[in-house]
Amino acid sequence: MRNIPRRKFIQLSSASGAFLIVGCIPSAEGKEKLISKVTSNLPSIDLNQFISIGKDGSIILFNHRPEMGQGTYQSIPMILAEELEVDIDLVEIRQSQASRELYGSQMVVGSRSIQTQFEQLRIMGASAREILRQAAANKWETDLNDCRASNGRVVSNDGQVFTYGELIEDASKLEVPQKPPLKNPDQFKVIGKPFHRRDIPLKTNGEAQFGIDISVPGMLYASVERSPVFLGKIKSFDESEALKVQGVKQVISTSRTVYGRTRFGVAVLAESYWAAVQGRNVLLIEWDNQSLEEVSDLTIEKESLEASNSNGNELFGRGNTDKILDDSKEVIEASYQTPYQAHVPMEPMNAIVSVKENSAEFWGSTQNPNGIRSFIARKYEISENDIKINYTFMGGGFGRRSMTDVVEEAADLSKKSRVPVKVIWSREDDLTQGPFRACSLNVCRAVINDEGKVHALEHKIVAQEIRNQTGENMKAGRQLMGGINTNYTIPHLSVKGVLRKRHIPVSYWRAVYHSTNPFAHESFIDELAHRVKKDPIAFRLEMLDQPRYRRVLEEVAVRANWQASRTDNIGKGVAIAERSGAYFAMVVEVRKLKGRIVISRITTALDLGICINPDTVKAQTEGSIVMGLGAVYSGLTIKNGAVNEQNFNTYPMLKMDQCPEIETYIIKSNAPPDGAGESGLPTVAPALANAIFDLTGKRIRKLPIDMNGIM
Amino acid sequence: MARIKLVVNGQKRELDLDPTMPLLWVLRDYLGLTGTKYACGIAQCGACTVHVEGVPIRSCVFPVSAVQGKEITTIEGLSKNNDHPIQIAWIEEQVPQCGYCQSGQIMTAASLLKRNSSPTEEEIDNVMSSVLCRCGTYPRIKIAIQKVSGE
Ligand code: FES
Ligand code: FES
Repeated sequence: MRNIPRRKFIQLSSASGAFLIVGCIPSAEGKEKLISKVTSNLPSIDLNQFISIGKDGSIILFNHRPEMGQGTYQSIPMILAEELEVDIDLVEIRQSQASRELYGSQMVVGSRSIQTQFEQLRIMGASAREILRQAAANKWETDLNDCRASNGRVVSNDGQVFTYGELIEDASKLEVPQKPPLKNPDQFKVIGKPFHRRDIPLKTNGEAQFGIDISVPGMLYASVERSPVFLGKIKSFDESEALKVQGVKQVISTSRTVYGRTRFGVAVLAESYWAAVQGRNVLLIEWDNQSLEEVSDLTIEKESLEASNSNGNELFGRGNTDKILDDSKEVIEASYQTPYQAHVPMEPMNAIVSVKENSAEFWGSTQNPNGIRSFIARKYEISENDIKINYTFMGGGFGRRSMTDVVEEAADLSKKSRVPVKVIWSREDDLTQGPFRACSLNVCRAVINDEGKVHALEHKIVAQEIRNQTGENMKAGRQLMGGINTNYTIPHLSVKGVLRKRHIPVSYWRAVYHSTNPFAHESFIDELAHRVKKDPIAFRLEMLDQPRYRRVLEEVAVRANWQASRTDNIGKGVAIAERSGAYFAMVVEVRKLKGRIVISRITTALDLGICINPDTVKAQTEGSIVMGLGAVYSGLTIKNGAVNEQNFNTYPMLKMDQCPEIETYIIKSNAPPDGAGESGLPTVAPALANAIFDLTGKRIRKLPIDMNGIM
Repeated sequence: MARIKLVVNGQKRELDLDPTMPLLWVLRDYLGLTGTKYACGIAQCGACTVHVEGVPIRSCVFPVSAVQGKEITTIEGLSKNNDHPIQIAWIEEQVPQCGYCQSGQIMTAASLLKRNSSPTEEEIDNVMSSVLCRCGTYPRIKIAIQKVSGE
């Protein structure tokens, strides 16, 4: 990775707030400019922090968002290439350095990379294109309007041609337009086309480097034994056996912070990872478990049910729901439960950190490179300028890699041992330590009027909230109601949150609360549809004005052949959800096969506005569905205050033979793009549960589902 | 410690090692062949699959002493130019997402096709269901294998 010089850069907040800080230098008049040139001594010239053009015509586009499989490695350069007018297959794509000053937020969470920066990235491409055109116009002494940019060249009306490489030097001396004209979406040549991802060949021959693949000179490997009961403290430990293992160098106690709470562990540092693990296996540690061994699934269920009797606080309300429910003779009620889930990125958590007196360096895979820099700076009082962040491809993230707790362990151990330390979590660590997707109890109640319409609906969520895990404040926040569809035109609607606090840590997991709440909400809507004997899609459409919801629902009905008459052997279920601005409808089809129920097909329709790379969107949809199904078929259980499952043998992931056929239909749209990385997940559980009901008459209200045990 | 002699991707290597160390960690930490991945350590996910004498094995549970002198092929040695038919099909079908599981997927698929050049869908399911992908690339893996076997 090449350094883009940072001198002359100052901060500037853009109006949208999304692209907080971009490269800018004071202009002659002393005014700040949004975009500027970044020049260097290298043979190529950086037109800005995203675009570098060589005099030989070579073009480098930088992706500034860490890549975990979501595809921005390709889709961000595609946006730049579109406005720059270059052939995306001919440019070089590089991962940018981590720099808040140059790139603003580089955090990859909530499917937001494209959503929040589409416009700014286009401006980056377009402003570079404009100065190249201007440079050509100056050379030909002709009007700018006579110069057209196309395919890495500027062409004049009378047929003269300059390549970008021939223009770059002149262009780099020109004033950069702050509001360059952007292309009309109808003219897009790159955006919306399924270009091949350039990171893929690196991922078929072992060449792609992940954090766990890095080693740095002089480093030690560390494996950490942590209290299985979260919040357990070290009473005492005996390292003598561990130190006898060949290759083991040191045994050090360490800690990390998980949402404001300290978690303790004992680390074995060794010359190889294997030696560290062998040493860890013979550590003797006595834990003080703070009497938390009492907590189990049963106590959590009981405590949640009791809590559901309280009203908590209202997170969304319209009409007069409480009164109508109180006054009604017939209230329909149902409760739904979801378990804790682990993220399980295939690449186990890891980090290498070297902390020195006045500087530090990080190597690894992260969703949050700049967060790591600020964390180390704060903790060790080192200037951010003296902290180098080297980030790699991630072997999955799903939210887990947005945290800095593993970095904290590695930094602590490096500081104490005075060498670079590579901490590798085992799969067992990953499953038992979390943090996890919160488990939840959802209680839904409704009143139906004489015309068979939903008159009032109350949805109560009893769960832990990521943003509020410690302290006295028991007020549930809006975060808790993610994924609840307030677009249904139900006149009286109340969403309530009953906050729970437990010693089990929770965190952002792909789609967050959208991965649990819609299971309850969309299952309940289905229950209501059946109660009034209406078709579940027609019932939903009756309650929807929102055009994007209607479009995806109508589309999926056609694609999934919803109206076709059902045989005894086929069941179909539908669900809708919105996540990160993307609207999603799904139909799951199930069949009976040899005494079991299997999913035969999943059909989805989605509207996420402008789609940058439809093939990536399809891949993300498939991935979200597979992860969603995994979370329907298995879950974590709590026993003796700790997670019971240790590895894939007891916490199975979805396998190929459980993966149904998936069809994805993307609605054409010129609306600004929304997030694709999670939107397929929320509908999986409810659409499947609704399909099972359609087939068997059995209503699933608790996850995980044992598909073998239904019939 | 023991003197261990290995043949990896056609090259002879000699190292002083704990003979019980799984091949996986020898490949990764001592030979710098990091294309072979760790993901579970208990033979449950297939990420660490390599070929020993042409047969796929899970290197996370295979002590290095057991493969002395045998031909070991890792993802780095599957082809010279990323052009094994499976690799070509993987790129054509845009299979990988994060990519972390893919060495294991590719090594498993390559040995499946070597044994059986046109497996049925059920055979593909049977063999490939032993290799986990958290990103959910299964639909594409299946299409890619079917493409190669159809040729
Ligand atoms: S790491 Fe060897 S099978 Fe999972
Ligand atoms: S591609 Fe990410 S785990 Fe398979």
